[in-house]
Amino acid sequence: MPVIKVNNATVHIQELNKGAKETVLLIHGMFSNLSVYYFNIAPILAQNFHVVMYDMKSHGMSAKSKDGYDLNTMTDDLLALMEALELKSVYLAGYSYGGLVALKMAMRYPGRVKKLAVIEAPDPSDNETLGIIDIYSKEFLVDYINNFTDTTKMRMGKRQLDKNHRMYEYLFNETSIKSDMHNERAFFKDATISNISHDTLLLYGKDSNCIDSGKKLYDTIIRSKLVFVKGDHNVPIQQPEEIANRLKDFFEGWHIKFKQINSRLWQGLRS
Amino acid sequence: MDTVTKRKLNSEEIFAALKVFITEVIGEEFVEDMDITRESSFTKDLEMDSIEIVSFSEKVKAHFGENIDFTGWLSGMDLDQLINLKLDDIIKHIETCQ
Repeated sequence: MPVIKVNNATVHIQELNKGAKETVLLIHGMFSNLSVYYFNIAPILAQNFHVVMYDMKSHGMSAKSKDGYDLNTMTDDLLALMEALELKSVYLAGYSYGGLVALKMAMRYPGRVKKLAVIEAPDPSDNETLGIIDIYSKEFLVDYINNFTDTTKMRMGKRQLDKNHRMYEYLFNETSIKSDMHNERAFFKDATISNISHDTLLLYGKDSNCIDSGKKLYDTIIRSKLVFVKGDHNVPIQQPEEIANRLKDFFEGWHIKFKQINSRLWQGLRS
Repeated sequence: MDTVTKRKLNSEEIFAALKVFITEVIGEEFVEDMDITRESSFTKDLEMDSIEIVSFSEKVKAHFGENIDFTGWLSGMDLDQLINLKLDDIIKHIETCQ
């Protein structure tokens, strides 16, 4: 299992196509892990990019942490990870809460982000997740899994249910995640969001309850493009190929395509 | 088990190696109660979640080498295929690529 030490904590990372010149860095959402990208999305991006995925603190196979789930600390963690991997600037994509981390990264460290992709980032002020945190119990988890994760076709057995329950119990009862997320409620009202000058792709599910958040970001970020994909909040799991290709096309842009055409022309002339 | 195997392994040897990886990933205490067969599916029978399958994939790559392109092979599958993936599918894939 590839792990690196970042700020004295163990971070699980996965990299594909290490030799590529440009890097795409992928941030997963809260209560998820890097596997949301690993199987389908990352391999498609790795056709042309060095791809880096990492597990956030207390998620997946990264070390647990009692605090630091606010967007400032999360972006400091990300910056430290980039330093550790010697990445000067990256094409950055984040899903759900990871989308908020990606936005904050572009706001705080604009020079470290080449282009920005935000998938299904919720407005924390009307996010149902915050409600879930408040009413969490094991019975709630069972009900939630049975009723709301059906669109991802994943079913959980007892071991998985217990494993998930342990993760939620730890995060909600032993860490600052609740208060940290609550403290981000006003994030969409932060005037510096409108300072984001990066080319920004906003990807949302047509049936998602986060559509309004996408529209708000579209109205706020000058160089943004809003694209709707078939699906709901779980679009990266429902439509991984489309999400990957949308990201790939956006990150490649004309710059890389032009280089590829040049390279093919050059090879043609040489043969 | 993290060294790349050079010798061509037969089906039984691959199956034995995969069982070791599964035990390492989900823990001996859970494997004791399981009957791991070639027909076992990852999500339904072995109850592995996606991050455990990532961990398992890394072990397969480290042991059998990059030639089998395990991640690339998985990436060609849709969600239904991944959910229904059986140990035997992986054994056959590794046999073909060796």
